[in-house]
Amino acid sequence: MKYFRLLSYLVLLLGVAVKATANPENPAVSVILDGFYKTEETALSERGRSFGLGHTELSLESAVDDRFIGRLTTVLESHDGETEVEMEEAFLNTTGIAMGLDIRAGRFLSQVGYLNSRHTHSDHFAERPAVYRALLGAHYFDDGLRINTLLPTPFFWRVGVEAFKGNQLAGGEGDDSVGVYTVNTKLGGDFSVSNSWQLGASYIKHKLKIVEDEHEDEEHGEDDHGHSHSAGYSAENLYILDAVWKWAPLGNARNRQLILLGEYIYADDLNEYATDDDSHEGWYASLVYRFHPQWGIGIRQGEVELKQAHGEHFHDQSLKETDVMVSWSHSHFSTIRLQYSRQQDVGFESVNDAVSLQYVMSIGAHGAHEF
Amino acid sequence: MNFKKNHIVLLLLSWSISNVAFAKLDILTCEPEWQSLAKSLGGSKVNVISATTAFQDPHHIEARPSLIVKARNADLIFCTGAQLEIGWLPLLLTKSANSRIQTNQLGYFLASDQVELIEKPAILDRSQGDVHASGNPHVHWDPYRLLKVAEAFSERLKIMDAANSEYYQQRYVEFSSRWGVSIDKWESLASALRGKKAIVYHKNWSYLLNWLGLEVIGDLEPKPGIPPTSAHLAGLLTNMSYNNPDVILVANYQNNKGAHWLSEKSGVPVLELPFTVGGSKAANSLFSLYDDTLSKLNKIR
Repeated sequence: MKYFRLLSYLVLLLGVAVKATANPENPAVSVILDGFYKTEETALSERGRSFGLGHTELSLESAVDDRFIGRLTTVLESHDGETEVEMEEAFLNTTGIAMGLDIRAGRFLSQVGYLNSRHTHSDHFAERPAVYRALLGAHYFDDGLRINTLLPTPFFWRVGVEAFKGNQLAGGEGDDSVGVYTVNTKLGGDFSVSNSWQLGASYIKHKLKIVEDEHEDEEHGEDDHGHSHSAGYSAENLYILDAVWKWAPLGNARNRQLILLGEYIYADDLNEYATDDDSHEGWYASLVYRFHPQWGIGIRQGEVELKQAHGEHFHDQSLKETDVMVSWSHSHFSTIRLQYSRQQDVGFESVNDAVSLQYVMSIGAHGAHEF
Repeated sequence: MNFKKNHIVLLLLSWSISNVAFAKLDILTCEPEWQSLAKSLGGSKVNVISATTAFQDPHHIEARPSLIVKARNADLIFCTGAQLEIGWLPLLLTKSANSRIQTNQLGYFLASDQVELIEKPAILDRSQGDVHASGNPHVHWDPYRLLKVAEAFSERLKIMDAANSEYYQQRYVEFSSRWGVSIDKWESLASALRGKKAIVYHKNWSYLLNWLGLEVIGDLEPKPGIPPTSAHLAGLLTNMSYNNPDVILVANYQNNKGAHWLSEKSGVPVLELPFTVGGSKAANSLFSLYDDTLSKLNKIR
């Protein structure tokens, strides 16, 4: 079965690679190659020690007709000699129906927070911040429905709701037909021609079925590179605040750009044994400066405090992380990044300082990135 | 009760109809050159704003929240096309959730769809740089192509706002006759430029140089979209000793460090030209953009 899937995937890849530009017969095809070398194991990380591959992504996107666009993204990942094919996105999206409405259905990345809806290849650091890795499984995607509306205000104000099956968040597999609801709002605008901003607030309601086998996960303290996208720590309510400010001289981001970004996540109602004092909490802030079309530097500081469920009680865990990176992009389509990550912890096992060397290469159509 | 309801509906309906009849057409252009053209052709019947300024590289814009709001409010979007805005326009259209300006609608207008493009690559391969598959998109630098774009855009305005079609026709006739007179003036001004040799930063002057008969003998970018490297600049410098260029051309939004280095080493002057309307003090319309550019080019000796 697995070989059949791999084979059909390759056939698909070959079939679409013949023609590369988007037109009615040929959807826009893009491939992302992501590989790395990392000196040490780090806590809560999906990337192990030594050489490895990150997200190898194949994506097809096209207008379906004049009302819908469709997108399919498959991700190939290999772990312990096994290659896994995963469908990360398979959705339809409406284009310009009435009243600023925008509807998406299928499997897609939830729009909560700032980073979550973005593909990891557009990130400025080799891995998502610790708080994301712990609480959202690096990026939370699921099967569901989204309805967004752009309010008729003079500034940018979007309000959206999502409903998901809920299997991809920790403690999933609930009885409810809809396991996760999210509410999200974003406000944004320009301070001046050189300065732009955006603020966001999100709430995730996870209708947890109390997962009995939580205490079996004795070794779960560290998310042992078992590659699961499920978040490692459950909670019934998640609240996220995010803020971004971007500066480019005269608004010309081609030559120079400064990006200041931060998010804060709070989660409570961890399970049936949790008291009001039991909660997960974390944040990160990053500053990235591209001082030349090809060169960028960045620093990120983050922290997460977690309660690891252990039968009827919890163990305290915490992780502080500092990342420093320098990146070089020969063209718009190629990036090589050197990163140093420093971890300080309470209650984790493989906590280390690590150096990573990473490449992200983009072949074919290169879709636009969100602000 | 029913009667009252009907009254209110009628009132709302008449209000919205009168609103449509008197409202100006809201036009969002991707670049300032089309803003200038749309203003010339639409006159007092349109509101025109531009998504970018002359100091921004139109290849590299972000679909930021303020642009999404502008796109949401537009009745008509007027862009260059030919993949120039591929990094941001598709996202802007989707995020705006505005049915009027989607690609199959009357409210979506691309300049590059109205004219033949030059420099269509025979081989599409990223190792050749970030090339535009449909050809060179910077058509506003050929006055004859620009006139064709103007004619097609004027027709679009007449369809979208039929009540004012006579007004738009009159504006187009005025524009085209003034543009025609200007073309004659510019061509006689530029006659001495024919055969001069130029090094350019990026292939964004091709239409202008073709029109005026200047020859391009080198690019500061080793490949389209890749900034000048010192090895490439050194290569250009070596070649300059025997192919004797007359000028190095850069656009006002491009990084001019490489050009100045080359100029210092070779003695060939750098000319910084406004790429579009607003790119220099004098260039505040398409007419003055061409005037200013030609008077600057005429300094080439």
